[in-house]
Amino acid sequence: MSMNPAMNRYNWRVIWLSLVYAAFLLTAVYCFKHQLLHGVIAYVAAILPALPIIGIFGAMGRYLLEEEDEYVRMLMVRQSLWASGFALSVATIWGFLESFNLVEHVDAYSVAIVWFVGLGVGSLMNKLTLGASVKC
Amino acid sequence: MFAAKQSDLTPAQRAHIRRTLWLLLAYAVVLPPLVWLQAHRHVGHTLSLLMAVAASLPLLGIFASWGRYLSDERDEYHQALTLRRIAIATNTTMGAAVVWGFLQAFGVMPLFETYWIPFIWVVMQGAFGCIAVLSRGRAGA
Repeated sequence: MSMNPAMNRYNWRVIWLSLVYAAFLLTAVYCFKHQLLHGVIAYVAAILPALPIIGIFGAMGRYLLEEEDEYVRMLMVRQSLWASGFALSVATIWGFLESFNLVEHVDAYSVAIVWFVGLGVGSLMNKLTLGASVKC
Repeated sequence: MFAAKQSDLTPAQRAHIRRTLWLLLAYAVVLPPLVWLQAHRHVGHTLSLLMAVAASLPLLGIFASWGRYLSDERDEYHQALTLRRIAIATNTTMGAAVVWGFLQAFGVMPLFETYWIPFIWVVMQGAFGCIAVLSRGRAGA
């Protein structure tokens, strides 16, 4: 499936947001490692790397609004739904495993990482059930 | 009034609500004994694993029920509304998870069990449902 303008814009947004994420994350890690931040500033610095990730979720939403090819949009919606179901299910199971002292606690952002992995699961499910998937 | 509201529901919505209520009932029945066992008895590793999975299953069922509802729903307007709701709930939930996760990673907030993240999602869905019922009631008044 060839890349359309909406997908192209989505990819560029994700690339820019990933670069901003890397910059914020490296800065925050450096500052926390050298104990340069205290009080409210520490909270703000901790939240900054989260913002580009939230932006990527926003970019996905914007892409779904901009996509004019209804079939491609339907594939992406299905893929996102699989990703959400996958991430929420993994978070639920992991949460109870933590609760019963079987696994270590993980940082909550891991669930968002699992969501992105879930996009791969969704793509695979699209391929298996509809014989097509969206290439990002 | 409730009967009138029920008649507004599509068959797929009624089936989804029925499934969700049964799953919530199963969750309420299954969870307390598991928590009690874990707290008051020495439970082996394998049994703990099975207990954790058993506690998760009703919630996994609720997520699956949403998927089933979307494939069963024949009314395109309701389907689109539900997709929109899910998108908003998922983005908000993931946003909260990412913000809290970085606060945890940099040691300014405590760690917690990850099932609270799906809990936020489920609460948001419930809130959307309440808003829909209230706005329908207001439109009908």
